[in-house]
Amino acid sequence: MATSRQLSVADQIRQLDGARKLVLKDVSYYPQVIQATMPIIGPSSHVEFRRWGADFLAEAFSTPAVPLSGRETLALTVLDTLKSLVEDPNQDVMVLRSVIQTAASIYPLAMRWIINNAYDFPTWGKMTAIKTRIRDIWDTAPLTVRICCIKFVQRVVLAHTSSVNPEPRRGDPLDISRNMVPPNHSVLDGDQLEAEASGLLDRMLSVLEDETSDPLLVDATLNTLSILVRQRPKTSHRIISTLFNFNPLKLATATPLTPKMKVLVKSMEKTTRMLLTHLYRRDVHNPLAGRMQQYVERLARSRAEIFDENGRKRAMVDQVSVGEAKRQRTATLSNRNHTLKAGENTLAQVFTFTNNDGLKNFNVSDAIPAPLAAKISVRTIAQLDTEILQRAIDGVRARFAAFQEVCQQPLNPETAPLGIEEDDDDYEPDYYAAEDTEQLMNKLDSSPSDERRDLQAPVLGALPLPAFKLPPPPLLDPEQAAKVGQGAIARVFGTMQTLEDPTTKKSKAGLNRLAASSYDRDSWITVITRLATRATAGLDDISVKDEHNALALPTVSMSDSIREMLYAYVMEDFRKRIDVAVTWLTEEWYKERVQHRFSSSPNQPRDAPANYEKWTLRLVDGFFSYLHSQDKVLTRFLSELPELTISILARVKLLCRDPSLVNLALTSLYYLVIFRPPVRDIALDTVQDIWTEYEDARPTAAKYLQKWRPGFVDAAQKGAGSTPVGANGAIVAT
Amino acid sequence: MEVANGAATTTTTPAENGEREDVGGYKLKFCTVCASNQNRSMEAHLRLAQANYPVISFGTGSLVRLPGPTIHQPNVYPFNKVSYDTIYKELDGKDHRLYTANGLLNMLGRNRQVKWGPERWQDWQIGYPRTEQGKDRGHAGTEGGIVDVVFTCEERCWDAVIDDLLNRGSPLNRPVHVINVDIKDNHEEASIGGSGILDLAESLNKAAREEREVMGATAFDMATAASRISFDERVPEIVAEWQERWPNLPATWTLAWF
Repeated sequence: MATSRQLSVADQIRQLDGARKLVLKDVSYYPQVIQATMPIIGPSSHVEFRRWGADFLAEAFSTPAVPLSGRETLALTVLDTLKSLVEDPNQDVMVLRSVIQTAASIYPLAMRWIINNAYDFPTWGKMTAIKTRIRDIWDTAPLTVRICCIKFVQRVVLAHTSSVNPEPRRGDPLDISRNMVPPNHSVLDGDQLEAEASGLLDRMLSVLEDETSDPLLVDATLNTLSILVRQRPKTSHRIISTLFNFNPLKLATATPLTPKMKVLVKSMEKTTRMLLTHLYRRDVHNPLAGRMQQYVERLARSRAEIFDENGRKRAMVDQVSVGEAKRQRTATLSNRNHTLKAGENTLAQVFTFTNNDGLKNFNVSDAIPAPLAAKISVRTIAQLDTEILQRAIDGVRARFAAFQEVCQQPLNPETAPLGIEEDDDDYEPDYYAAEDTEQLMNKLDSSPSDERRDLQAPVLGALPLPAFKLPPPPLLDPEQAAKVGQGAIARVFGTMQTLEDPTTKKSKAGLNRLAASSYDRDSWITVITRLATRATAGLDDISVKDEHNALALPTVSMSDSIREMLYAYVMEDFRKRIDVAVTWLTEEWYKERVQHRFSSSPNQPRDAPANYEKWTLRLVDGFFSYLHSQDKVLTRFLSELPELTISILARVKLLCRDPSLVNLALTSLYYLVIFRPPVRDIALDTVQDIWTEYEDARPTAAKYLQKWRPGFVDAAQKGAGSTPVGANGAIVAT
Repeated sequence: MEVANGAATTTTTPAENGEREDVGGYKLKFCTVCASNQNRSMEAHLRLAQANYPVISFGTGSLVRLPGPTIHQPNVYPFNKVSYDTIYKELDGKDHRLYTANGLLNMLGRNRQVKWGPERWQDWQIGYPRTEQGKDRGHAGTEGGIVDVVFTCEERCWDAVIDDLLNRGSPLNRPVHVINVDIKDNHEEASIGGSGILDLAESLNKAAREEREVMGATAFDMATAASRISFDERVPEIVAEWQERWPNLPATWTLAWF
């Protein structure tokens, strides 16, 4: 009978496990499965079912796979079952554990429910009853249940106190706190909740205040505190001050250490240390962070003392005298002898004041890993009485002075024995770089001891450090420099290509504007043109002379290479980029004017290269062959150029070789005649020449000349017989 | 110092590569953790899986790091994205002789038989169902995505695990024993450490089973129950006894929360 029933229990559990696997695959089945299993796992069921059910509920309400809102509505359906399970005085411990875990997950959900649904007082009543029951058994239940009570209470404290996240919806959705309780809630009173939380927290922390607490409870408590300190500012001071008063090593001082005791002491000490380290690392601005760090270091030290004495006695024998020396040190500080013994002294001896031989012979670099030694040094110096430090420094200084007097040779930093003992050089290769080293050491096949030795930090004494000078950079020859410079310029052009023309005309800032401050295309043009014209101004001519004299420089000058690039840039789309050309040529012209003014004053005038005219002509030659009759760009270009010369206008004249361009050329010239009086004469001369040379152009040219040089046409026509019309006619014909 | 690890133990460790018959019954769920989820945690993972325990494994490092041709050229891979098989093939292609000689290929060959690829502890969504990993060794029982005991193989990893758990803020409200077993990172020590971890797991599981059997009685009296010792309470004692048997694998324990 019994066996058949047992079998059926096992079978049913197997079925339930099947149902669980189904929900794990698809969590949307949780509501159905919980509904279906609730009768099976109720308070009167077989203990196996209750265990299974309680475990299942604990899992269902903690899994992050189910969204919080889903868990909230589900929670309401299981409160009755949880309440009856937890209130059964004969309840199985395992069931109790899981039920309390479930309650811990549900408590904040239930609280959020009642905040939003104040009418549903019965539901909140059930939750409160569960809480009361858990509070009651908290002190008397088996330890394994009590740790779950601690966790439940932590959840209650979290829910009842104000969070650091002022807006709960923005932060962690699970961060349900007092902030969410409205001031006039009909069921919940914020102040009352907080008072309750404060009481519960006190009870929680009493575990750490009571010296006889079981380490299991201590660990369980310590490991719940992090989130309280971080997210519930009102609790943090209380918790941290409790931690400061908690001595996890107390257990170790009383009795001889059994193996179990060792595990327990080590566990509590390490857990405390981890918690505090975690807290001050996460919140370095916490006013208590410094104290936490100190506490952690103190703890590590006393732990090392306790365990070293017991575990590493053999290794520590020769350090006993060191301990004595330490204690004596303060006593001997005042009556130290400042004079060094005659003869050669090591740097270590210069800095040594103690008379204790044991301490003198103690080689720090052998016994203490460098990072620890550095830490100790820094801390010691920080805590040192400034007067004592000053006296010590004066002492060393006096020794150096005496030393210098005796042997006139100054201490050469390159040859002084740096690495004997007190090598506190900053150079500290990070051989301890945590995980990397560990992994790098993973030369798995060879013997571990050999491998380790290779990778340990070098023994400080064995590492002489000569002064290191960086090798001089390789010389940059002019050709390379020019190449690099061209590369830079090419990149600026590359950037300009990507910059769009400004779509809207910005209002000009007038005279106050700064050139090249807006990083748009115009700015870059300004930068480039000035680089081309001004950067090497005054140097160019010298190089030109050199070229004339010796032809030594095979390279094109920087400026010229920029000009070439500018030329190419304009020619790529001269109709759009004519403004660039004008800007550039204006800069050229301006630079030449300035240079001319400077060079004309000294006695030895230099022949500055005539870049303006040279490049204007090149540009004109370049784009004139592409002009068509409608290109107003010519008129604009000619009128905007800062200076027009006869040779430029001669190029315009040549345009008339193409009959379709005659009109354009003449209109442009006429425009100059009207609007640029300074060049009126040479423009009219050009028109005259056109009249003379190109018969196709005569009607229009004559019209303009009639107005501005009335006598010319008549005079020319009178002497027509001798004009070389024929020759020009031939040109026109080609 | 001369005492060899495990010399005093009476429980015989299973033969190398020995699969064990599954005797069923209640089983604790384990998790093994080392830096790169390659050597120590995977050795222990396999050993626990061979003994039919539910087990998963992780690494706490920022990256998976394997030795390369020199100490300055380690082979580095991201967690969760590269399979053991891929790493195996890459290293095999790079330098078959070197990586055979230093045992890396052998190790990766083993690992790819155990699970898909190295996983990072900090990226583990605790409590998220693990139903997709059905082919992993030791998968049966870990579907719920939680474990009862975490074994770390190095103090640094234990610290990383505890710090991470503190950081997560224990939203699952579930206790977990985190035990460090200090194992040097080489093949030989990993193998010894694997035996040590399996021995510890056996001892813990035995206690957990006893707890469940004792509490099987329907009538439970709260007053006398306090005198009975639960599994959770016995853990430090079990660790201490184990430490006597394995003096060269220093252990640290705490009770933390998921």
